[in-house]
Amino acid sequence: MPSRDLLVAVDIGGTFTDVTLQDAATGQAWTAKTPSTPRDPSEGFITGVTQALTEAGRRPAEVARVLHGTTVATNMILEGRTAPTALLTTRGFRHVLEIGRADLPRRDNLWAWVKPKRPVPPGLVFEAGGRIAADGSELEALDEADIRAAARAARQAGVAAMAVCFLHAFANPAHERRALAILAEEVPELARTASVDVLPVVREYERSMAAVLNAAVMPAISGYIARLEARLDEAGVVAPLLLMKSNGGVAGAAAIRRAPAQTALSGPAAGVVGARAVCAAAGVADLITVDIGGTSADICLIAKGEIGLTQHGRVGPWPLPLPMVDMVTIGAGGGSIALLSENGSMTVGPQSAGADPGPACYGRGGTAATVTDAHLVLGHLPARLLGGRMALNASLARQAVQRVADGLGLPVDDAARGILAIADNNMVGAIRVVSVERGHDPRDFTLVPFGGAGPLHGCALADLLGINRVLVPPSPGVLCAEGLLAADLKAEFSRTVAQALEGAVTARLDGAFTALEAEAAAWFAQEAVAAEDRSTRRVALMRYEEQGHELPITWPIDGDLTALGLEFAAAHRGLYGFDLPSVAVEIVTLRVEAAGALPTPAASLPRGGDAAGAVTGHQTIRLPTGPIEAPIIDRALLGPGARFAGPAIVTQLDATTLVAPGWQARMDASGALLLTR
Amino acid sequence: MPSCDPVTLEIIRGAARAAQAEMEALLERTAMSAFIREKKDFYTALFDAEGRMAVGSDLPIFGDIVGPVAEHFPIETMREGDLYWYNDCYGSRGAVSHSNDQVFLAPAFHDGRRVGFVMGWAHFSDIGGLRPGSISPDATDHFQEGIIIPPSRLMRDGQTNDDLLRTFWRNSRFPTQSQGDTRALMAAVRLGEKRLSEIAARFGSETLSDAFTQLLTRTEATIRAELAAIFPVGTTRFADTIDTDGHGNGPFTLRLALTRTEDDRFIFDATETDDQAPGPVNLLMHPDVPGMALGLYVLQRHPGQVLNAGAPAAIDEVRLRDGSLLAPRAPAPLGLRGVTMMRLLAALHGLVAVARHGEAPAAHSAYVVIALRGLAGGKHFLLSDGIGVGYGARPFADGTDAVYFVAQENYPVEFMELSYPVRLRTYAINRDSGGAGRYRGGCGVVREFEVLADTSMLAVRIDSVVNPPWGVAGGLNGGSGRAVVNGGRQLAPLSDGNMLKKGDVFRIETGGGGGWGHPFDRSVEDVLADVQGGFVSEEAAARDYGVAVTDGVLDATRTQALRASRATAGLFHRREYRDAVA
Repeated sequence: MPSRDLLVAVDIGGTFTDVTLQDAATGQAWTAKTPSTPRDPSEGFITGVTQALTEAGRRPAEVARVLHGTTVATNMILEGRTAPTALLTTRGFRHVLEIGRADLPRRDNLWAWVKPKRPVPPGLVFEAGGRIAADGSELEALDEADIRAAARAARQAGVAAMAVCFLHAFANPAHERRALAILAEEVPELARTASVDVLPVVREYERSMAAVLNAAVMPAISGYIARLEARLDEAGVVAPLLLMKSNGGVAGAAAIRRAPAQTALSGPAAGVVGARAVCAAAGVADLITVDIGGTSADICLIAKGEIGLTQHGRVGPWPLPLPMVDMVTIGAGGGSIALLSENGSMTVGPQSAGADPGPACYGRGGTAATVTDAHLVLGHLPARLLGGRMALNASLARQAVQRVADGLGLPVDDAARGILAIADNNMVGAIRVVSVERGHDPRDFTLVPFGGAGPLHGCALADLLGINRVLVPPSPGVLCAEGLLAADLKAEFSRTVAQALEGAVTARLDGAFTALEAEAAAWFAQEAVAAEDRSTRRVALMRYEEQGHELPITWPIDGDLTALGLEFAAAHRGLYGFDLPSVAVEIVTLRVEAAGALPTPAASLPRGGDAAGAVTGHQTIRLPTGPIEAPIIDRALLGPGARFAGPAIVTQLDATTLVAPGWQARMDASGALLLTR
Repeated sequence: MPSCDPVTLEIIRGAARAAQAEMEALLERTAMSAFIREKKDFYTALFDAEGRMAVGSDLPIFGDIVGPVAEHFPIETMREGDLYWYNDCYGSRGAVSHSNDQVFLAPAFHDGRRVGFVMGWAHFSDIGGLRPGSISPDATDHFQEGIIIPPSRLMRDGQTNDDLLRTFWRNSRFPTQSQGDTRALMAAVRLGEKRLSEIAARFGSETLSDAFTQLLTRTEATIRAELAAIFPVGTTRFADTIDTDGHGNGPFTLRLALTRTEDDRFIFDATETDDQAPGPVNLLMHPDVPGMALGLYVLQRHPGQVLNAGAPAAIDEVRLRDGSLLAPRAPAPLGLRGVTMMRLLAALHGLVAVARHGEAPAAHSAYVVIALRGLAGGKHFLLSDGIGVGYGARPFADGTDAVYFVAQENYPVEFMELSYPVRLRTYAINRDSGGAGRYRGGCGVVREFEVLADTSMLAVRIDSVVNPPWGVAGGLNGGSGRAVVNGGRQLAPLSDGNMLKKGDVFRIETGGGGGWGHPFDRSVEDVLADVQGGFVSEEAAARDYGVAVTDGVLDATRTQALRASRATAGLFHRREYRDAVA
């Protein structure tokens, strides 16, 4: 029996599939990069895994677990490529998806906005008789003939999946359960989802959409997972496959097959989990992460090491009320394009040059000036990226930015700085909104920029926000892998109770929690989590009577409702600046958050020397005050405690860090680069 | 030489938008009435130091917000920590146009210098008056529509005038909601004030001032250029009619004339509009509204531009007649001004349609509101439900189905059944309410309520019943709405005092939008999908679209025959093709 100490993390990007192999005992890591295979991503997946194992000289049988973050579901939804799906709804409500929340977005022009096509056309929505009341009582028995007829009609129409969402199923799932059982008899070949199995919470449009999206991605995700498992099997890897969920935890393949929508917002979640792990190693618990990629930036605030969850997530135009890492995404990235309007004003993003053709400096035919081109013009980037494998064309970047400069009547350097200033400003606005929504002052936080383009912006964003500390993770460009390796198994179990705090009976709520904990226990068993690795937490989602948003409050150990009320008032004050002592408080939802701890791999520590020995060259940075020579520092050559002052350019395989003038850099023993001023 | 370069301008615009987003997030999370938190009937704006709106919400109904306050509290006497408040329609010349809308306004300072103002605006669900909800079709006098707060100073140097608040709350039938909403709005405005001060600190007061001025002049220039592209020199006229004022009077006709002079001045004239109504459909239209509304319409081609006080500046003169429906004399009631407002917005598009020979959106229905009040479980309840309608089809797309207005959401069925003594029996698309056309008008909805309270009183507000929303460029008119109890008893579309008892079922059907382009030019596939999806009946498909569908299956031969002969279309359509609708 070989020792099984190897962890494998696989991140499939648009161009490359990155595999990180880590020895959990020693922390030693190997990476492999292989072209992605969009037609069947499992091909690139297994090629990468095999390559990494060969590189490390280890055997497949030594792998303890395989961790994977997938955007298959997300991309299908965003691109409208989900499977043909039918929806079964309560009689009288067949247009639940078409009507939605009537939510013509606040920032859209009323006269220009066009309603997006729903993932299920109205012709494939079927009604069934039967009615549950808001309190869970049955008003009218389920009309089973309706369900059988709908199943046959759906099959006739050639759908591949069917979702069920009945009114008030969160209060009583009996009708949905029965409908699902009938569908299993009538159309066993179809993928099936009941809304209560995705998330039993109030608001029928959002819950219907969650059920529909879940069903609609199920056939593809099931097939995808089956192919991954088969390939791992063939390759001799017998370890469990765990997939990243939107909540920042991982779950076993079986659980994901049943609720694949849980992966739909997972793309940016892994990076956030990775950032938290990297910061924890450096002793930083309060952080704001900015993950800047080619087209967008994801921003997340982590207070006291705790990643907040929200149920207000969206995928494209659709609400998806599943617990997801609470973050905002804006259209600002390295590929964001600077555009001039007819009357001479300039915007940056959300249009992006993407990966293809990419920024002008990539030399792949792009001519529009992008954020990356602006960096290159100003000397923030070295002439070659990816460890020298990719050359940047400075003159193409300059030509592109020059066109913007001509339009603005500015010198080219000023135009480049303008492009960056506008992009930075958009990100700062989003960071502030995240902060106010969570009730914090960003100045109390450490800024953690990552993603390929993040560390170029860290100092500038911190300057704008009044933040004095920036932490650049060891591998900012591949933090998703860190996140996968650091993630725990996580799941939430919720029930809407809609109950006034006053007059609430502890025993009843306790009973509801116990039931949710029983669900959690079943999940632990299914995921084979050892008793000592299990933990659960009770949370009450509370609000003042008649408010629309709930705050998550940790349930007091003794179930003391007075203490719970005080805790809620304090949280409300902290978040919004006031509380309302004379107003009744409601408990809307009970939630049990379950986590199965997975062993954290040891970190691999920096092994270089002092900063002087890491300087590989010099380059001119063009500051507003004039050009200045800055050292280029190879991060791999920096050892613990190495210090240097900005301006400096720090290069590494996966990202470039710009240390601005006025900032001091220090290599932390954990491998993080700490910038302070 | 302007002190704000294009880059800084974009940064300030972005920062102002972010400040709005922060204020809105705070408001939405803390407000208490369903009108604000579920329906999201709230807006924010930032103003320059003189009180001109520089960055607003994309809503065409704002007037000069700061002016009415400045009249009572000269701007130069304002200090840091001040907060102003009003809902006074006549006292603000229509800057707010019904009393439920509360305006909170704070000046922002930097280094002791005033750099601008911040507004939070929200619809409060009950502020006293004749009936719960404060707005009633029964009102005949503005004083029946709730407490009136003239421009007042709610805070001085950070000290709140608690007596004023207590007086206001005491006048509400639901004081807790009123209290919660007031606190939420005050907190949001305070946050916005802080952000505006920070922006001034970051760029300097001069640069901020110049940035705001540039935002205003750019918006004005853009809108002027667009208007000049639409309207030929001379006078363009359009008129349309609202059905009734709910008191047996009407119809009332709005007569609009937009003149472009030889030297490119724009004059908006509505003086030929009918006299004011005894019932509450009067729209005390601020003179800024036509410019804001046309501005919002033309800015759809310029997503980077903000709607602000530059829009009304693009109209050189606005002529209204005192005592008319658009300039009523106090104390004419105003509560249901939404009916007239919505028809006015469509009529402005009518001007565009005339000038551009049909290249304009068709008319939409006026949003529908019902109020159900009564006693359930010993507690008074008020269910004010804003219900979506269909919007007009456009030269590039179908009209939007089931929308109330910008940024306003509906109440989920499950939320309503948890919160009010009602059970919903259906909530669906109102079939055939979208006007037929190459692009179909948006459909309205059907909402059917079973009343669970022992007794309750229902107010209904539905317009465009007699005069359905017109179609354009060959498109047919949209459908009308109606309200029915227990399948037989028709309620007057604008009425209050409809008594309902437990077990009664009332059904509201809302109207749609007009169609655009000849219906025979709509693809057969699209018509078939509309039939299968419950948007168009098989009868209407054959009659209006010339598409034969039986039991959901297309009959291609019959379709070809039906489509062989088509009627000649006119510019507008209301029951028949016509050159003008009123």
